[in-house]
Order: sequence, then structure tokens, then C-alpha cells
Amino acid sequence: MSCVNVEHLSKSYGSVIAVNDISMSIKKGQVFGFLGPNGAGKSTTIKLLTTLIQPSSGNLSILGINAIKNPLKVRHKIGAVLQQPSFEPTLSVEKSLEKYGMMWNVPKTERKIRMEKLLRDFELVEIRKKRNEDLSIGQRRRVQVAREFMHEMDLLFLDEPTVGLDPSARRNLLDYLKKKVKTGLTIFFTTHILTEAEYLCDEIAIIDQGKIIAVDTPEALKKRFGNKKTIKIHLLKNQEDIISLLSGIPDCTIDFSSGTNITIHSEQSEVVLMKVLRILNENGKEIDDLSAVPTNLEEIFLKMVSENVSNH
Amino acid sequence: MFPIIRLVNRNLTISINPAFLLWQIIFPVIYIFIAGFAYTSLIQEVPYGVKNLGYPAFLASGMIGFNIMNSTLVSGIIIWNDRKYGMFEQIMSGPFTRTNYILSNICTIGIIGLVSATLIAVIGYPVFFDSIEFSLITIPLIVFAAVTGSVLFGSIASIIATKLKSSEGFNVILNTAFLFFAFVSTAFYPAVGAPEPLRTVFFFNPLTYLVDVIRAGIFGEITQLVIIEMGILASIATILFIIATKLLTKLDF
Repeated sequence: MSCVNVEHLSKSYGSVIAVNDISMSIKKGQVFGFLGPNGAGKSTTIKLLTTLIQPSSGNLSILGINAIKNPLKVRHKIGAVLQQPSFEPTLSVEKSLEKYGMMWNVPKTERKIRMEKLLRDFELVEIRKKRNEDLSIGQRRRVQVAREFMHEMDLLFLDEPTVGLDPSARRNLLDYLKKKVKTGLTIFFTTHILTEAEYLCDEIAIIDQGKIIAVDTPEALKKRFGNKKTIKIHLLKNQEDIISLLSGIPDCTIDFSSGTNITIHSEQSEVVLMKVLRILNENGKEIDDLSAVPTNLEEIFLKMVSENVSNH
Repeated sequence: MFPIIRLVNRNLTISINPAFLLWQIIFPVIYIFIAGFAYTSLIQEVPYGVKNLGYPAFLASGMIGFNIMNSTLVSGIIIWNDRKYGMFEQIMSGPFTRTNYILSNICTIGIIGLVSATLIAVIGYPVFFDSIEFSLITIPLIVFAAVTGSVLFGSIASIIATKLKSSEGFNVILNTAFLFFAFVSTAFYPAVGAPEPLRTVFFFNPLTYLVDVIRAGIFGEITQLVIIEMGILASIATILFIIATKLLTKLDF
């Protein structure tokens, strides 16, 4: 069942087209990653989906509600952690959570229970009495994300929620989100850190220059765009004759950064690797280290964005 | 709970702090009991309708209007902080409309204005209890003045908050505007005896009308002029409120 349906959505500011005719569908209970370089239109898309701004054209259905006609109805059912930090400087961490729950009309007893749980889950117990203005950027971001879980929601928008978090807090947050998804929450997630998207997202859309250039699962994207693998070999000794030995292998490109390092790029990596190993073995070349690097999302992302730029 | 009430609750929590409350009490106490009595040697009595008021009583009643105006700085500060610290956008992505946000601000300053007026009335009571003439008509007059004055000055603070981007600019302009309102009015001294054109300028200042209506409520002198002043006050408050609402509605994210 679709949770978000976007059809030909566009948003222009004067002559600048921030979001250009995008369409996508997000299934219930999944984490949908939204990737793109700076200024690609990610935040504008989030503002459109959270009904903060109205589109210039197109259709938008959120949780089965026409979001253009009934934005308030949509906002009752969603949560949003926006890219910009948001906090009340004079309130303490616990008061921030408590008041945010009150703003969402969460009953007082329930607020207290949720607050205590979130303080623990987001490791905020020690700083619960600290005022927001005295927190570090990372602590403030944790409070901002934790605060959103004070209320019930069906769909959560997270615009780069891990910015400013240390690696441990980042992993805790991603694991917390994974747990929440298992309870039926749908998450729309934007990030610059592609390993996060790979770790968390069930489906990914890549946006560039206001247009969606790919939508698929991380694995399918890798299959579609990342057939080429990289094999790295480090030889024990400097081997001057290695270029001539390997030059006859078809379907690959070979880089020698020095006499001992060989980097091979190929779409037929397994076959090429076997051939390389055979040649090295037959010629008595000793290998110090060998690694086959799978294509990661970052490489695909960079490749797609650069291709998109050159197409324009 | 209605969305507006929830936002008012939140506004009161973030704007009322011990320092603010202390200032709200200490400031008028200094004015009424130190400046009020110190200036008695210069201004012994102020003619007011058929009575003559002692200067401390005159000043204390003026301080009610002044404090209402001062309290409404809160409105500008709430909007300013919400924009600066991202809460405006966050609130608007939640179960609230812009109208909810604007009305909650008005209710917040209305409450603060009323509480502030009551506070000064209690503090100033020892100096004007001799001249007080409360009645069923005069008390609603004070409430009217407190609410209308809050809306009026709250709207001015909101307009400034929506228009300015730097905190320095916001503070300088707001403080300058409110300083002008405070001293070019009848809050601290009577218009009678002030040199022209200052005397005329007094009547281009909404604080003058606010203070006149409050004095009429406290000392029971409801004249035709006071009724006209109430009309002017309500009209200016309405116009400024509409402008503030329009500007807030147009605020971009």
C-alpha cells in the first residue's frame, strides 16, 4: 500500500525551478532514502511533502489524503525533523520534550512516560536539566530528533537527521529508526552520508537539479549502475615487467600506481581476477595483499550525478 | 485542548522566566515609589477632570499603560526567536495553522498585558487608593485598555519582528520605538503644560490614548474624549493586527 504518492510535482521560485516534475511512490512501512547533492531540491521536496509550501503544479497524496487540499489533516499524521536546527533556547531538554508532547496534545501521563523513555533511548538522561542553548550541536540534534517521537505518527520526514552526530550517536539513531520501522512507521530520509542510506533504506531516489534521476532499492541500483568492480593487488616486490604480463587480459582496465600496486576495473571481475592470479602465479610473482572492492552507493551516486550534469 | 490554547501554553512557558517577572515588578516599583515621590517636589498635583491627582497616583496609573506596552515586547521576541531558532517552521509542520500561531501570540500578550496591568494596579494601589472610583463601567474599561493595548503594541512588535533579520536591528528599532512611545506620551507627565509641538505629538501616540483610558477607568472620569480615544485605540489596534497577520502569513520558510 502506498503511503506517499507524488505525481508530476513541481515547485518554482520565479524563474528558478527547485523541483521539476517529480513522481514517486513510497510504500508503507519502509525507509525511503532521498539522495542528492547540495541544492538538488531535497529540502524543497521535504517542504512540499510536509505541506510547509504549496507546489506550483502536480498532485500529492500523503497517507491517502490530498495534501494540497487538506494540508492540516496531513500534518496531524506526520512528523518532521527539518534540516534547520529548531529549539527553544531557554527550555531544558526534558521541558522541551514535555512541551512538544503537549503541543501535539499528548495526555500528560503519557507525555511523562514517553519523555523518560526517549531520554534513555537517545542518551539524554545526563543532560536532561541542561538548557537547549547550552547544548552542543550534536546534543541539540539528538533532542530535536527525540522530540519528534513524543507524538504518534504514521510517516516521519527526516532531513539529514545525523548532521552533527558522532559515529556512535549516528549508529544509535539509525538502529532506533530501524526499530521504529518494524512497528509500522514509514520514514522519508535524506542524507549526504551514503553509507547511512545503504544501511537504512529499503528504497532510494536520487535527485539532481530538481529531477529524480533514479529510484530503486540499493541492491538494484548497484546491479543497474555498479557492475564494474575494483580489484586491488599489492605485490611484495617491485615488478617492472608486470605491465607487459597483464596487458593481454581483455575486458578490463589496469592502473599501476607504483611498481607494487595494481588496480583493476572490470565488469567481469571474477573472470579477470582468475586470469590475473594465474599469470602472477605462473610468473612467480608473490602477492602481499588482495582485495575486491564491491561498488558502493557512493560511487553510483557520484557516477549518476556526474552523468546527469554532463547530459545537461 | 484547542491548538491555540496549546500554543499559548507553550508561549507562556518560553517567555515567562524569573528574570522577566522580577523586571515586571521591580521596574514599576522603582518608577512609582522612587521617581513618583522624588518628582513630587516638581509636580505636586496634576489636574484631572474635576479632581487634582497627586503625582505618584498620576504616575502609577500611567505605569499600567507603560507596562502593558513593555510586556508586549514578548510578542516580538517570541516571533523573532521562533524564526531565528527554527521553531516557526517546526510549528508550521505540525498540527497548527498560521492563524493558530498568530492568534496564540495575541492571546499570550493579552494575558501578559492583563496580568501586568493587575500587578501594577496592586503595586500602585497605596498611592492612588484615595482617588480611585471603580464601578461596573470603569473596570471593563481597564480590561478593554489592557487587551486593546496589548494587541496594538504586540502587533507593532510582531511587524518589526517579521521585517528585520538581524537581532541588533530588531532590538535597536523596537527599543527606540518603545522609548519614543513612552516619553512622548502622557504616561509620565500630563500634556497640559508641555510645550508645542510636543503637546500635539503626544496625541499622535497610541500610548497616550491607552493611558488616558486606563486613568478614566481607575479614577472614574469617563468623558466624551475618552470614548473617542477608545475608538481610536481599537481602530489602530485592528489595523496593526491586520498588517501583522498579513506579514506573518507571507513569511517564507
